[in-house]
Amino acid sequence: MANKRLNLRDIVVISFISAVLGVLYLLWVLLGQMVTGIFGPVGGGLMAGFWILAPVICAYIVQKPGAALLAELIAAGTEVMAGSVSAGAVLLLGFTQGLAAEIIFAVFFYRVFRLPVLMLAGMAGTFAAFLTQYMLYGFSQYAGSIVVFMLVTMIISGALLAGWAGKSFADALVKTGVLDRFALGRQYREGQQRNAV
Amino acid sequence: MLEELQTREAFLQQVHPTLKLLSLFTVFFFMIFIYDIWHPLAVLLLTVAAISFLGKVPLKLLLILLLPFALFGFSFVWLQVVFPEERGATVLFYVFHMPVALENIQTGVSLGLRAMVFASWSLLFVLTTSPVSLVMSLIQKWHMPPSIGYGMMAAYRFLPQLRKELVVIRRARQIRGMGSKPRMREWKEAGVPLMAGAVRKAERTALAMESKGFDGSRKRTRYVQMNYKKTDVWFTAGFILFITVVFLLPLS
Repeated sequence: MANKRLNLRDIVVISFISAVLGVLYLLWVLLGQMVTGIFGPVGGGLMAGFWILAPVICAYIVQKPGAALLAELIAAGTEVMAGSVSAGAVLLLGFTQGLAAEIIFAVFFYRVFRLPVLMLAGMAGTFAAFLTQYMLYGFSQYAGSIVVFMLVTMIISGALLAGWAGKSFADALVKTGVLDRFALGRQYREGQQRNAV
Repeated sequence: MLEELQTREAFLQQVHPTLKLLSLFTVFFFMIFIYDIWHPLAVLLLTVAAISFLGKVPLKLLLILLLPFALFGFSFVWLQVVFPEERGATVLFYVFHMPVALENIQTGVSLGLRAMVFASWSLLFVLTTSPVSLVMSLIQKWHMPPSIGYGMMAAYRFLPQLRKELVVIRRARQIRGMGSKPRMREWKEAGVPLMAGAVRKAERTALAMESKGFDGSRKRTRYVQMNYKKTDVWFTAGFILFITVVFLLPLS
């Protein structure tokens, strides 16, 4: 079961979830820019985890290789289609963030989707975002202390806003029954039956 | 309004989306190595001029869109002044006993302008490329799997419906007397039914695609052909000239 390929239904469902999140990403960018403008990149760092929600949620639901990367690319693509004013950075970040989260799931052979792994994926995602922005916006020109501080805030944000919040959202979604034909939904039903017995 | 801009009869709108995407990443790449003020400033002005003349986008709209980035860019300046990697020698003045050096302001302005260059090239892409032509070109020229491309388009078309569903959810909550909660809680509680609706819609869409014989294979005839044209040659030539003059020739 762990080594199945994504089928058409997986891809379309991932597309819809990521597109919805892509719109939220765009709104979050506006908020993030305000916070960054006022408090600098460190304040913005605390918001970074939100942009890793799509790979965490989709990988957790589908539990197949490629889901995380695809989800983040589609979320980024939706942002661009909806008219993001930072299309280039968004696409680059979408690729690096999705890839980083994907690597974490691959390390666990797409078998373990518990909270620590999801948090790790979120942290990897924000770490990749940090590296990408380090290159793009010339962080090497700033004092080492503030760059490290920023990295730390981003990684904390990745664990909480992406890993923890993403899991709790997907867990709430699975109770509605719409995910019954996906790995997460099946696990939830099995758990319920076990409890009933 | 965005759609009207994206389909205008102007030069940039005719250029193949894949080429515009490539040019975007090329500019990003070359900008990474720039730490002076004049290069990003020149690129920014040229880009804004290109969008307004070659893309027939009103200058006023462009400036309004770039305004938030000016604020974002300014954060690089003060950050560079307060937390520089290396404090410059030419101290201009003091703010609360903290020396403000010319070199740090220059680096900060350069990084701020760089962020604005990224924004302006992104605008060049976004304001002149329609989503459909972008996805179609990616499928036809960059071998994006059609199942992903069409899935994305279906999802994108579904998005306007979200707002209606949010209104329905909100009214349903009001009828049940749950309307007086703080907005943050409401957002969280509306998020789950909203996403559940999206997943249901996605499953129906996938079923419809399958039942109509769409299996995601690449060997299909297409209604819209995204081929390279003469404008693409001109764009590529112009872009190579631009990169050579601004980044590769030693002008300083």
